Amino acid sequence: MGRYVIRRLIQAIPVLLGATLLIFVIVFALPGDPIAALFGDKRPDAAVAEVLREQYHLNDPLLLQYWYYISGVLFRGDFGVNFADVPVSQIMAGKFQVTLNLALTALVMEALIGVGLGLWAALRRGKATDTMILASTLLLISVPTLVTGFVLQLILGVKLKQWTGADIFPVAGTFAGWRSYLLPGFVLAGTSIAYLTRLTRTSLAETLRADYIRTATAKGLPRRRVIGRHGLRNALIPLVTYLGADLGNLMGGAVITETIFNLPGIGNQLYTSVYLREQPVVVGIVTILVLIYILANLVVDLLYAVLDPRIRYE
Amino acid sequence: MEVGEPQELLNPQNTTETEGSEVLAAVFSPLVRYDENKQPVEEAAESITTSDSKVWTIKLKSGYTWHDGTPVTAADYARAWNYAAYQDNAMASSYFFGRVDGYNDVHPGEGKTPTAKEMKGLKAVDDLTLEVTLTAPFSQFKTMLGYTAFYPLPKAAFGADGKVTQAYGEQPIGQGLFKVDKPYKKGTDQTIDMTVYDKFPGAKPKNWKKLQFKIYTSAETAYNDLQAENLDVDDSLPASAIASAKAALGDRYFDEPDAAVGYIGVPLKYNPDFKNPDVRKAISMAIDRKTITETVFSGTRAPADDFINPAIPGYRQGACTSCTYNPAEAKKLYDAAKGPSKIELGYNADGGHKEWIEAVANNLRANLNIEVTPKPFEKFQGILDALDAKEYKGLFRMGWSIDYPSAENYLTPIFGTGSIGTGSNYGGYSNKDFDELVAKGDQAADPAEGLKFYQQADDILIKDLPYIPVYFYRSNFGHSTKVKNVKLNLLNQVQWADIEKA
Repeated sequence: MGRYVIRRLIQAIPVLLGATLLIFVIVFALPGDPIAALFGDKRPDAAVAEVLREQYHLNDPLLLQYWYYISGVLFRGDFGVNFADVPVSQIMAGKFQVTLNLALTALVMEALIGVGLGLWAALRRGKATDTMILASTLLLISVPTLVTGFVLQLILGVKLKQWTGADIFPVAGTFAGWRSYLLPGFVLAGTSIAYLTRLTRTSLAETLRADYIRTATAKGLPRRRVIGRHGLRNALIPLVTYLGADLGNLMGGAVITETIFNLPGIGNQLYTSVYLREQPVVVGIVTILVLIYILANLVVDLLYAVLDPRIRYE
Repeated sequence: MEVGEPQELLNPQNTTETEGSEVLAAVFSPLVRYDENKQPVEEAAESITTSDSKVWTIKLKSGYTWHDGTPVTAADYARAWNYAAYQDNAMASSYFFGRVDGYNDVHPGEGKTPTAKEMKGLKAVDDLTLEVTLTAPFSQFKTMLGYTAFYPLPKAAFGADGKVTQAYGEQPIGQGLFKVDKPYKKGTDQTIDMTVYDKFPGAKPKNWKKLQFKIYTSAETAYNDLQAENLDVDDSLPASAIASAKAALGDRYFDEPDAAVGYIGVPLKYNPDFKNPDVRKAISMAIDRKTITETVFSGTRAPADDFINPAIPGYRQGACTSCTYNPAEAKKLYDAAKGPSKIELGYNADGGHKEWIEAVANNLRANLNIEVTPKPFEKFQGILDALDAKEYKGLFRMGWSIDYPSAENYLTPIFGTGSIGTGSNYGGYSNKDFDELVAKGDQAADPAEGLKFYQQADDILIKDLPYIPVYFYRSNFGHSTKVKNVKLNLLNQVQWADIEKA
């Protein structure tokens, strides 16, 4: 088990190096000069632009620039500075917290609502409840996040306050503590809730038809125990896989949600930095996102053994 | 108060974009502000005088102190301006000091080393007197002084290495109405908090003390926050909200001219097809500005009818006669002048320009019966690079927002012969008479006389149409029910002292 974890972590190193180099090349290959981007529609003073280019090593060959960058990260834990001389690590520190809060809120909502609804639908298969749940998930999947985001913000954020005076769902920012994450968390989780509902329903329905369920029922076990211990636990494996992979998706998918709700998270920053051609910030964020993705997948793989004792690692 | 994230740290000499300038305008008090008649009047300065528009004497008001309590002196101005101009400091606003005598010594240009640290045209005569000598007379110098780049810097801003410190950029010490409460961590903080500075000698707000800038990445979100009364002032309402904002905000909604202009740029230097002014005139007359501003921009822009914007003194309504929609005349003129049968319209796809460029393309197709291809570039810089490399010969989208509120700022930087290659004269227009008239305006003894020459220079542009003005920007802003008396100045900055709690 320990060996397996270490092997997986060592495998992550080339993935990380490859991903950062790739992102570095892609960001660099984008047309437009990052220094010119700082000046908007006006032509930068040639001498000023030159001093800045020199300062940020932009005149050096790409591989040398990558080396400056990656050696800083590997040997000094230094992610460099952006073009306003702000350390990238400072930019990322606060933002990952926000995005992590948001992603966890979304993940909890997915697990509770998605699995809950799926369970309900599976137990009432073919009945009106089941049809209604399936129809509503279809609706959730087909409406883009951008729309759900703005509509919910307008109805629950603006109108609700105008009508009742109660400030329940903040429109923007993280000033209201955990309440700030409820609405954006739901919007971010939206499509995943729907998928998870459908996945749970199918997986559980299939499991409930299995021989051992019939055996358990025949033994006279209470229905709660049959569904909980024997049914749901066995149906969980695809769900955990989905949730684990989804944590990475949520971190990346936060771009739209964070912009709508003005959350100062990583998605928001990624968007701004791509726009401003801030290679160091973009590569720094992507590096950490890749790392999170790798770790989340590792945790998922390890959880299999807990759920199904037949799975062994070596 | 709503604001976008400042691009740089809060350092006046390195801030040329609107968001950062807006924040700094609360922390600093400019030498001049602009009154109701759009004229510069002394604010932190007691008097600004000159006899020949070349040597300017700036007397400071006594009583101004930095937020750390030390008095503001003329040396603080000289230090800041020299710092900004010095090439190796790479300050974004360095070009503002290009007219000061000795600028070329501290800022000799790409690849050259400065031979001096200070400009010889800048002298602190005594504690409250600053003498500025320009290389050539410039009648509009006083108007420039309201801009961010001309704020002073305290000694405390500089570190041991002689550079403005990181800490100063996070918590600037100013001499203005508001003191910054705590360092602003760029990238992390969502607000910039300030309190009224008790010892500020100028006008102070009547019944409030705290000001908070909230940073938004989406204008729609800021507008929603305004409606939910979580935000008091929003000075950049999104275009999508304009239609409903009038009804939703009522008399708390404002719509005023903004000093920026949108053009169709003409690559005179790169494509001889456009050499004949009649071709440009015909294209201009074929554009239906009224429909574009009303439909595509839902009224957030106004049809352009001069090269000078209505927000600035010197604008003349209807001055540009060939800016009036006249498809029949346009077709006649275009055919007679043998205009090109194929035109490309370049625009940068990152700034919401696609729609109006498509509309212009449709106008030209329908009215001139020619082939028109809109050509997206990823960034505005991409158009300029393609022009420089002579790969691109089409028309291009162009916009101009002023650096200082003077008619001159619509002329020299975009159409002056000296601005080809170094300034923003991207089309490569060059006209001797125009250059001479602008120079005469610069040398005039007083701004009003200068304006006459600028208008004559403007007349040449209207005749030549080196660019085709399409629309004037408008600023749309609103406020919550909790405040009243919200006004913007010529630089689109909120006049904080005027605002009252409702």
